[in-house]
Amino acid sequence: MVISDRQARLNTELSHNLDANINIITELYGNSADLTIHPFKAGPDQIPGAVIVLEGLVREDSIKAIQRVILVDSLKLGLEAPKPQEFYQLLKERLLPNYDLTELDNFDQLCENLSAGHKILLLTGVAKALDCGVEGYQTRAIEEPTAETVIRGPREGFIENIRTNTAMIRRRLKTPNLWIESYTIGDLTRTEINLAYVKGLTNEKLVAEVRSRLQRIDIDGILESGYIEEFIEDDPFTVFPQMIRTERPDLITAGLLEGRIAVFTEGTPFVLLAPINLWELLQAPDDYYERATIAMFIRNLRIFAYWSSILLPGVYVAIVNFHHEFLPTELALRIAATREGVPFPVLVEVLIMELAFEMLREAGIRLPQAIGSAISIVGALILGEAAIRAGLASPAVIIIVAMTAIASFTVPAFDLGISGRLLLFVFLVLGGTIGLFGIQLGLLLLLIHLCSLRSFGTPYFVPMGPLVVADWGDVFIRTWWWKMLRRPRLVGSQELERQPPGQRPRPKSRDEDGDYENKS
Amino acid sequence: MKIKAKIANRQLAFILFMMRTTVTIALLPVLTTADAAQDAWLAAIATFIGSALMLIAISALGVRYPDQTLVQYGAKLVSSWPAKVISLVILSALLVIAATDVRIYGEMLITGFLVQTPLVFITAGMVFAAAVAAWQGIEVIARVAGALFPVFLLMLTLSLTMVLPLVELKNLQPVLARGLMPVIKGSITPTAIAAQMLVLTILIPALEKPRRATGTALWALLGSSLVLVLITIVTVGILGSDQANRSIFPFYVMVRSIEVTEFIQRIEALPVFAWGFGLFVGIATALYCLAQGLAQVLGLSDYRPLVFPLATIQTVFSVQAYKDVFELLSFFKPNIIAPYVLTWFVLSLVPLWVAHTIRQLFVQKGED
Repeated sequence: MVISDRQARLNTELSHNLDANINIITELYGNSADLTIHPFKAGPDQIPGAVIVLEGLVREDSIKAIQRVILVDSLKLGLEAPKPQEFYQLLKERLLPNYDLTELDNFDQLCENLSAGHKILLLTGVAKALDCGVEGYQTRAIEEPTAETVIRGPREGFIENIRTNTAMIRRRLKTPNLWIESYTIGDLTRTEINLAYVKGLTNEKLVAEVRSRLQRIDIDGILESGYIEEFIEDDPFTVFPQMIRTERPDLITAGLLEGRIAVFTEGTPFVLLAPINLWELLQAPDDYYERATIAMFIRNLRIFAYWSSILLPGVYVAIVNFHHEFLPTELALRIAATREGVPFPVLVEVLIMELAFEMLREAGIRLPQAIGSAISIVGALILGEAAIRAGLASPAVIIIVAMTAIASFTVPAFDLGISGRLLLFVFLVLGGTIGLFGIQLGLLLLLIHLCSLRSFGTPYFVPMGPLVVADWGDVFIRTWWWKMLRRPRLVGSQELERQPPGQRPRPKSRDEDGDYENKS
Repeated sequence: MKIKAKIANRQLAFILFMMRTTVTIALLPVLTTADAAQDAWLAAIATFIGSALMLIAISALGVRYPDQTLVQYGAKLVSSWPAKVISLVILSALLVIAATDVRIYGEMLITGFLVQTPLVFITAGMVFAAAVAAWQGIEVIARVAGALFPVFLLMLTLSLTMVLPLVELKNLQPVLARGLMPVIKGSITPTAIAAQMLVLTILIPALEKPRRATGTALWALLGSSLVLVLITIVTVGILGSDQANRSIFPFYVMVRSIEVTEFIQRIEALPVFAWGFGLFVGIATALYCLAQGLAQVLGLSDYRPLVFPLATIQTVFSVQAYKDVFELLSFFKPNIIAPYVLTWFVLSLVPLWVAHTIRQLFVQKGED
């Protein structure tokens, strides 16, 4: 029987016959090594039953506790020979209520819960199974996310357990209006997906859209939020990420407060946030914790760095190849002198060096940390130095490549940084073949693409295209918190007011009596 | 077929502003080489008045049919077949102007920057980008225009402020030495080029507030005319009317003379980039209107299949229509371009206005 037929067989009801039920389960699990059946005979009438668990998912003592309740505590009630149906009611209502009980009547649900670590209780003569809940399982401790470090801000990050993750958001957003919807996706993995939003703040149409996109997914397994992302994004054929994926609960909370939605996936610390625009991917959480003036400078630096990581090599090649006259004479002579003896055209030279750098970057990620630093020494110092000594590359090109690399590493979102590194090659070829005109052409095409992109229906390039100058307050500058009176116009339109005005702190001034008084 | 896309009136203003300003940069020689000489800036003001009148002639009719393009309300006014002919006249005007725009830009790049690149490479590249945008629709064009607008303004402001210290007001004197005639003569060509605002005949139904289209367009026109006056004053002020007369691209020559410090010199890339951006917005809009209009004339349900064929025609036209830059410039002589544009108007808008007026009178009589 192939897998889909076997899955279809799950859809059967439990029967009154205990042995038949147990047989079906052992058959379904193919007598797997970890499937354990603890049979018992309870009550004065010796009613047969069984507790079924998958070993390793359940603690040994919790099974013993259940067995004691069934075998010992039931006798203390002093009932005379209850029938199986009565005994079942007894267990459910009086003996086991402190367990997280659910009644199951088909094998589909039973197997799913069993696999998730639930304890299943079966009793003869009852066509139902009692699910005695699940206890916590071994997970990684909450740590600081290594890929998204901040100077100032909370140091905890999401882990692989979805409940812990949603709890982290709950703890930050103590309002009943934080709604969390649950979906199970994946025929075989049965992965839990949670959709979180703030009711009344998030546009209902957006929630309905995300909901329908989630429900549309039909796949055998979900292992990471990346699967979900590819299923629900607007435009799959673009280098630009249309959702933020982050390990930081504070980032998700901030997004929810602005009227966005978050998608949690079981088994991964990466949570998705949508809808977003390009500029939000260039913001780091620090921006909102550090002093506004500093954050403003750093943020613009980052925007500049991102665009130069795309354009710098292309512009360099274009100028050296076609437009020497743009350079001051001395600089032009200097560059020409360093290029002396280099056997490649400048385009090929930059292309080779950029490719070499890309390989170094990838090698650095894949290797264990101890060797990773060795790679960077070999790559940066030895390879670069040797290339110049051997006259294969000019120092100016090495500087350009290094500057591009540094610039692209300032981008907080790794996926956006990588998009820039890809576009770099496009602009390199354009600049190397048609000069600055090629760069301009490339910019125009890039702009058309960015302006036609949407993230869950909101324009991706806002507030530049369409131009919304009022929203520049959170892009090119970062206003002070007491001045952030409105939520972003396109996502927070349900209720734009964020806080009342007039909260600017002022020094108290001394009045005539010598008392301090609040000047307002 | 109805145009479903909607753009804000503000976005239309961006588009028209960039379209007009770009032509300004490109056609400055026409202003200065005409008889106006040192009074070129007065000619620029006269241009505003002339093109404002033209704009009103174009849009005032469209505003009366806010949810229809000229192709559609034309059919209502003068019946189906004549309306198609009229629409084709307007569309051909759009094609000629857009192709000529690209050609000027290409000529400038070839003389100034990419000496060895074939002309067709540049025009084809630019038209290709415009076609991609037109294919995406007017909303995307409007957004791109919005995104480019601040950059465009910044580039113009930078290149103008940096040359400001070099302006010698003596070059602008004497004012009106030879009377008003040369000034008016000098304004004829740039006014005629305002025929590119014929895009409004197709764009008005795509607006959020179509009834305010005339006002919006007038603001854009006012803004671009202001820039035009400024640029003319600065250029003539620095180069003097003689040298401005002799150069083919005087604005470019002027910016080339900037040398703020040892390091900041040769910043002519700024206005050239600005020019490229503006040109792109202009021809993308023209191409969109061309395709949209033609689709309606032919009764197609979608304009998209027409975009790339039209782009190809435009590219070929831009290369083949003029032998060289001098033939191109002679096209802009008042005695050539004025009859040209006049013909377009007489064949298209005049019959529509007449039909509209008669209809208005007739309907009123019928009601009485």
